[in-house]
Amino acid sequence: MWSDVRTGAVVAMFVGLSVLALVARTVKVGARVEAYVHYLWTFFLVFTVTEVVSFGVAVWILAPLCFVGLREYFSLLDIRLQDRWGLWGSYLSIPFMIRFIQIDWYGMFIISIPVYAFLVIPFLIALGGKQTEGTVFSIGAIDFGLFLLVYCIGHIGYLAFFSTWMAIMLLLNVAVCDLVAYLLGTWGRPPWTGNVVKYAASMPVTVMLTLALAGWTGIPCTHSLVLGVLIPVLVAVGRYTMVYIELDLGIARDRLVPGRGRMIDSSASSLYAAPIVFHYIRYFLT
Amino acid sequence: MRESAHIISLRLLIHLALVRPFVKLFFGVNAVGGEHLGDVDQCIIIANHNSHLDVPLLFSILPAKHIVRTHPVAAREYFSRWKVLFRVVDYLFRPIWIVRGEKIEDPLKGMKDRLSSGHNVIIFPEGTRGNPGEMARFKTGVGMLAVAYPDIPIVPVFLLGPERAFPRKSPVPLPLWNEVTVGPPQVFTGDRRDITAALEHLVRELSESAVANRHRRRKRPKPPFTVAVLGIDGSGKSTLSRTIAKQLANASSVCLVTDGLELYQQGSRKEAQPLLSEKVREAVGKYAKTAKSLKHYKAPKLAELLLRDHIMGEVARWYSPDFIVLDGCPLMNLAAWANLYKEDRFDADACATALRVLSGQCDTVAREDPVFAEFPELAALRRLRLTSMKLPDAVIMLDVEPAVSVARIESRGEQRQVHETEDKLAKLRAGYRLVCNVVQTEFGIPTRILDGDATIDVLAATALAFVGENLGKETDHE
Repeated sequence: MWSDVRTGAVVAMFVGLSVLALVARTVKVGARVEAYVHYLWTFFLVFTVTEVVSFGVAVWILAPLCFVGLREYFSLLDIRLQDRWGLWGSYLSIPFMIRFIQIDWYGMFIISIPVYAFLVIPFLIALGGKQTEGTVFSIGAIDFGLFLLVYCIGHIGYLAFFSTWMAIMLLLNVAVCDLVAYLLGTWGRPPWTGNVVKYAASMPVTVMLTLALAGWTGIPCTHSLVLGVLIPVLVAVGRYTMVYIELDLGIARDRLVPGRGRMIDSSASSLYAAPIVFHYIRYFLT
Repeated sequence: MRESAHIISLRLLIHLALVRPFVKLFFGVNAVGGEHLGDVDQCIIIANHNSHLDVPLLFSILPAKHIVRTHPVAAREYFSRWKVLFRVVDYLFRPIWIVRGEKIEDPLKGMKDRLSSGHNVIIFPEGTRGNPGEMARFKTGVGMLAVAYPDIPIVPVFLLGPERAFPRKSPVPLPLWNEVTVGPPQVFTGDRRDITAALEHLVRELSESAVANRHRRRKRPKPPFTVAVLGIDGSGKSTLSRTIAKQLANASSVCLVTDGLELYQQGSRKEAQPLLSEKVREAVGKYAKTAKSLKHYKAPKLAELLLRDHIMGEVARWYSPDFIVLDGCPLMNLAAWANLYKEDRFDADACATALRVLSGQCDTVAREDPVFAEFPELAALRRLRLTSMKLPDAVIMLDVEPAVSVARIESRGEQRQVHETEDKLAKLRAGYRLVCNVVQTEFGIPTRILDGDATIDVLAATALAFVGENLGKETDHE
């Protein structure tokens, strides 16, 4: 009976987000909010398919999500002609990672990108041509994008393998932090005070939310409390870092156009939180 | 009639259901101002051309009503290399095929036919895909078409992204976003050249808004501008080079390579990070000065010059100054010294060949060239691959009578080096003049010979004016 209620809740949230996405499109809330709703919607599509069909099918929905994020990042990057094989290698590592999540091969998932992809891509770049100048920059930039926009997102997928509700808990907490940041965003405080205010405002909500969901996520209350305190910190750190990256890539947050930062900006807050929450849960709870 | 209507609708379906979703989902298309294309019934679309992706991209933003009656201009001889590809392209886009280089009566005939029957034409006025990210000059064919059809509006389009997603030099496309900026439709009147120029200007304007906020790597620092001051010993070249360095340093950073390294920034001397090779060079230089005969002088002096040349590269790498002022240019000194040792066989031709060999253009000189037999040192240097010495960007030579310079050296009270006698300095002076001449005529490096008897202020002012004149000019020896 409980599982029916849980499934119902997931489907209800998915339907709610779908309605929200339609509303956001008609009301013209701005590209940033619209992109964010789409981002969340994709994840809830994954969770709904997990509950209704199977995780093995649902996890593949992450592949286009990773692809879109990575494509956006590479499009904004100043690449050389000979880096193209490296980019192909990065794109090709997405299905491998998804497959390792699907078959629950943790050891391979965790090294697929940081070991194999990171070693193969420089080799592909070196094979691509004879221009040595800028190679270090290219390798760094390509590997980093792959790490951030594929590997870190992949951790949300693996978390959903542990338990759909753990992943939902993470995304809802991140969404709460983002909502608070969005509402307080126009205050124009200096960055550090602003971040402290945002943390103070979102931490009680995330703690309560995590504790409230503890029955469904299966995370004991102590750990739920720690996660509720920890996630807003990770979100703040991630967002603070991503601002620098977005500005260097030329992403203007106030006018996000297609292909220029929609996916990167939407995922910015989850990128730091996802792997750390995943490893926290894996270390203490599995 | 019915059959053709059927085919046309199938084409439309393929475009809307296959080509367009593929282009949009695989590459990503962001259309800016796409509504301009819906406003017109018939138009000539002009765009910059960098990639084979350009045509599918343009078709992916065309309103449905335009798709089946729009025809890009394409080069037949290129696509007809692959039969299947040719047929697919011919079916999907119905291009106006032209054969480049073919002499026909009216190359615009195909386009005129389509325009007369109410269809649209896509033209890439650059003619060819060109270098990635660069826009070539527009050819005037588009102007002629505009003159012939003054009522059909022209829509300028700028494509950003295809040069990265599917560049000319790459065999496979890569998923990367593209931005299609469409300008408002306009009609033009006037001369075909004026119209072409106006269109080129329009597309460039569109490009500026699109390209401006693209991520760029840090620019590579400009290589320093190297000024060499030449002259025989005692001509005052050290003094002159130091004065020039100090004056140039008022607005930039300058490294003076003389007996030691001196770094000047904002008009004052700065502490320079020590370089190991500089210490070695100083020791070798000191040893060379103690030589008792020309024969003993040769090897250490050669080593010193080679080290000095190496240091020029080190200086550019570690200090990245705006200017390097050289108290004697290693490469040119080396050539001039050949005159001292083998005066009878050293002429302008030999000098030019030697400079070519030593400045890294070794492959332009034949291996059997007689110059290698006459100057075995040159052959040895080539064998040791010590042939990447640097030519300066500007040369100043201080010309002084040997007698005067010997008097100056004596008045300094230092120990005289072996070559510092009047006749040897005269030979050296002739050598320098010869090298300067060759460098100017054969290598196109600006050279000025100054009379060393003038006062230092006059000399410095003339030298600085000369450097200023040549600062912006491109030198072609690199």
